[in-house]
Amino acid sequence: MLPLSLLKTAQGHPMLVELKSGETYNGHLVNCDTWMNIHLREVICTSKDGDRFWRMPDCYIRGILLSIFGSQMSLAKSDIDVLHKVIDKVQEESKTRADRKPPGVGRGRGRGREEGGGARQVKGIGRGGDDAGGRGMGGGRGRGTSSGRTGSSRGGRGRG
Amino acid sequence: MSNGSGLESLVDQTISVITNDGRNIVGLLKGFDQATNIILDESHERVYSTKEGVQQLVLGLYIIRGDNVSIVGELDEELDSHLDMSKLRAHPLKPVIH
Amino acid sequence: MLFFSYFKDLVGREVTVELKNDLAIRGTLHSVDQYLNIKLENTRVVDQDKYPHMLSVRNCFIRGSVVRYVQLPPEGVDIELLHDATRREARGG
Repeated sequence: MLPLSLLKTAQGHPMLVELKSGETYNGHLVNCDTWMNIHLREVICTSKDGDRFWRMPDCYIRGILLSIFGSQMSLAKSDIDVLHKVIDKVQEESKTRADRKPPGVGRGRGRGREEGGGARQVKGIGRGGDDAGGRGMGGGRGRGTSSGRTGSSRGGRGRG
Repeated sequence: MSNGSGLESLVDQTISVITNDGRNIVGLLKGFDQATNIILDESHERVYSTKEGVQQLVLGLYIIRGDNVSIVGELDEELDSHLDMSKLRAHPLKPVIH
Repeated sequence: MLFFSYFKDLVGREVTVELKNDLAIRGTLHSVDQYLNIKLENTRVVDQDKYPHMLSVRNCFIRGSVVRYVQLPPEGVDIELLHDATRREARGG
């Protein structure tokens, strides 16, 4: 099986995409081409350290910037629990820091909604199913910070 | 490994991929192409650290982009089963700098 | 094509491939392709205590783009032959 054929087959399905820069994008794959350029819909972007989230209705990513695609088909319930814990934590943090700005990547196209990392979008991830056709979407994988790359303490992976 | 310079001989085998950002992902090779793009099924990441043993994170079905691949190793399951991951300590691999 | 041909002649020899992430892997050269991707057999990482990441790997494929050096066996270098091949290449034939 060719990787590009698999990607074509994944159209319409939820997937996780990681950029070489470390940010992850969770969304539904709308389309892709032979350069691996992809179009995602209903996207949640997660910062490299896994503790900031942004939501955007549509997102187009150049293939050359990508490093990894993942389907979220074999995630265990424990991952979802981790995700919920992370979201709870972020909600608490965002109560005290409501002035966060989204990254350039969200603003550059002029379509990303400028939300301040606040409770509203975070709740969206937690419910998962409300705009994802019942399948839900997970937040990105955390890669940890300088303390190590265990990824388990800050990032979450999951599906609704 | 049989003849040929591609990855044909490793299809449906367990492989260990080291990526350019220094990660180690283990899974079943389901497909590949000229650019070394790789399909990995039932994959997990092995996270090395100096403070604790190797952590294994379940990933699932993944496509790794070829330009992010450094090494594709054929995992010897016999050797691997004798490794005590909880005792292995190491710094994570450095990222590739071109 | 010179290096491709040159590496093809080295198949079966013991080489050490140093990668751009400082990892050095020693093994028997099994094959090379046009991108200078390298396949090694009976591999071992040179500093296994520092890099235990490939302890259960005996055969591997190394992407040409991440190779920094290939350390060759001295007997694998025929300088006369290399000179000739280089001149031929330079003449375009």
